[in-house]
Amino acid sequence: MTLTASPPSTDGGPEVARRRSRRASVPYLLLVPALLFYAFVVLWPTLQGAGYAFTDWAGRRETPGFVGLDNFTELFSAPAARSALRNTLVIAVSTTIVQTLVGLALALALHSALASRNLLRTMFFAPALLPPVIIGFLWQYILTPAGPLNDALGAVGLGGLAQNWLGDSSVALASVIGVIIWQNAGLTMVIYLAGLEGVPPELHEAATMDGAGRWQRLRHVTLPLLLPATTIALSLTLIGSLKLFDQVYVMTGGGPGYATETLSVVMYKEAFVSGRYGYSTAIALVLTMIVFAFALLQLRGLRRFEVQQ
Amino acid sequence: MTIDAARSRLARVLIQRAALGTALVVTLGACGFVNSGDDSTEDGGSGGSLTAYVNTEQNTGLAPLIEAYEEETGATVDVSSATTDELNQQLRVQLTSGTAADLIRVSPGNSSPVAVGVLGREGELTDLSDAAWTDELGDDTRALAEVDGEVLAFPVSRNAIVMAYNRQVFEDAGVEVPTTWQEFVDACAALDASGVTPIAAPFQGGIFFQFWVYALAGTLVYAENPDIDAQLAAGETTFAENAEWGEVFARIAELRDAGYLSDGMLGIPADQGMQSVATGDAAMVLMVSAGLPQLHGYSEGGADAFGVFALPANDDPEATMVPVAPDFLAVNAAADPEAALGFLDFLAEPENVATYANEMGVLPGLATDVTLDSDVLAPIEPLLADGRSVAYANYLWPNGDVQQTMLQSGQEWLDGALDTTGLLGQLDAEYAKGQS
Repeated sequence: MTLTASPPSTDGGPEVARRRSRRASVPYLLLVPALLFYAFVVLWPTLQGAGYAFTDWAGRRETPGFVGLDNFTELFSAPAARSALRNTLVIAVSTTIVQTLVGLALALALHSALASRNLLRTMFFAPALLPPVIIGFLWQYILTPAGPLNDALGAVGLGGLAQNWLGDSSVALASVIGVIIWQNAGLTMVIYLAGLEGVPPELHEAATMDGAGRWQRLRHVTLPLLLPATTIALSLTLIGSLKLFDQVYVMTGGGPGYATETLSVVMYKEAFVSGRYGYSTAIALVLTMIVFAFALLQLRGLRRFEVQQ
Repeated sequence: MTIDAARSRLARVLIQRAALGTALVVTLGACGFVNSGDDSTEDGGSGGSLTAYVNTEQNTGLAPLIEAYEEETGATVDVSSATTDELNQQLRVQLTSGTAADLIRVSPGNSSPVAVGVLGREGELTDLSDAAWTDELGDDTRALAEVDGEVLAFPVSRNAIVMAYNRQVFEDAGVEVPTTWQEFVDACAALDASGVTPIAAPFQGGIFFQFWVYALAGTLVYAENPDIDAQLAAGETTFAENAEWGEVFARIAELRDAGYLSDGMLGIPADQGMQSVATGDAAMVLMVSAGLPQLHGYSEGGADAFGVFALPANDDPEATMVPVAPDFLAVNAAADPEAALGFLDFLAEPENVATYANEMGVLPGLATDVTLDSDVLAPIEPLLADGRSVAYANYLWPNGDVQQTMLQSGQEWLDGALDTTGLLGQLDAEYAKGQS
């Protein structure tokens, strides 16, 4: 075999470089319309909206007055707003934890050879497909003092557990949280089912041969491999529950009193009921920061945990 | 250059130009520089065109009148409608952005960001003072339609707060329609003894709770002291200092503590409260007259199954007042007023006032001598004829936040988590904030 040196490339030169450069720029040019549209529809209004958070804009034509940090001071000092902030965090944390656990349990139960598993999966996932407003009206009816839930409790001899689910300030927030979990646990279940499909059966077989029991296989094989799914499920649930609005507004309007009011509900009322758009924008900005901070912390923590595992 | 290379270059140039062209169209279109041609839908007809943005009730009541107006004048009235809540949310933005209709539904007094008082002071509404129909404004309606001496709103109708009761339940309990507060409390006791809930209290959200406050305040506060709003505004009194305002909440507390209001009232929505009266589980419900058709629809007996009376608040039957709320239309100051003013003149004609009132089963907006087809409101008409009507208490508060505080903190008060002094103190704080 004879080895010969390759001749110098004849496709080099400035013309070729220019052509390559032009070809490389085509995708960016194709992106321009979408980027312009995004900037006009999303970025510009967002930045402008953030600016209104520092004004007393009441939706009028005249230029709003600059009020510095007054809107933020009011937000963190007004009892109603503080209560809404507390409710928002309670809903977010409790919903995230319980919904994830329920979704995981459902996924583990239905990732089996059960004959009716597809029917059950569909049933548990169906509420997640319904519009939140419909869910709100449905449960508002179910949870009234003379509603079907209390009737059902009475019919099975548990009438003592009947409550004024949405009208008693001591149980209303828990009722709302229960509805949110009922609606979205199926979505978490689907995420975990997808994760379970990715767990190689050989690992379970190997663990079984090593003498691992069901709990040990779950603890040391399944759950570590489900960490990416957990990251997704936790992130989606946390972000969704932090900006929760529809179900709360429909079921309780934030009441009784201020018992179930969330930051999103306060934001809506301040803007569209009271016409305080500047203050409402400040709430929106704070809510965005909270969502961003929680999501970032959660993602970083979980990613680090995934790597360690 | 080979043919392939030339084709390749041509293709790239075309893609680049198409991309830039698309970007330009999207950007300019979004900025409003490209005429989409949609304006062609606004066909004015020979008599001009008019746009209107009204609530759903007004839309229903105006429908036959618009048809008649278009036939009579050849004009076109293009109506959009939404629920009052949705309309209040959208109208503010429409006015600011210059896209509001010529004729718009506005709230009375200062009760929302799109109320006559608020928009009038901002110069958003056309002065209607020269219209002939302004002579037919009732006193309580005029007080809410005027800003700085200018009439800025036209009342298409008025609603009253009335106590609707189930006739059969009253008859079974041997109860007569009460005319004094003591008779009312005695009636509740008799109804309670007969095994029914005396008063349906669907206070979820607070809307039906506020009717109690306005109805009692009409007699206890405004009849005693018609200048109370001016005194509150001047800082000469406060809710907490005013004994009559304290009496309003004492009356409600008396009923609550006696167990005459529905159990679990804060969890009961409005429709279920009305249904409980229709089924006879409860005897009566305090509501606005515009909601009576809905109540009647829940009973096979229809309107005949129910009666109404004005809620007494003290022991003088002649002192009972009826809270009344006008439903307003106003003319957008940015619009060409000619067509809108012409349409309002048409609505103000006595036969059209009657048509609207009969269509909706409401009280006529203007103090015109009108015969109503329905006798549902007959029991309160003598009071209105005697001038014993009063505007809702919240209309002349500085903004809607005071009412919002009353609705939300009122629920805490009903729940026992807040005492009357605390509630009135919160109203005072919100009132002061609204004035600053």
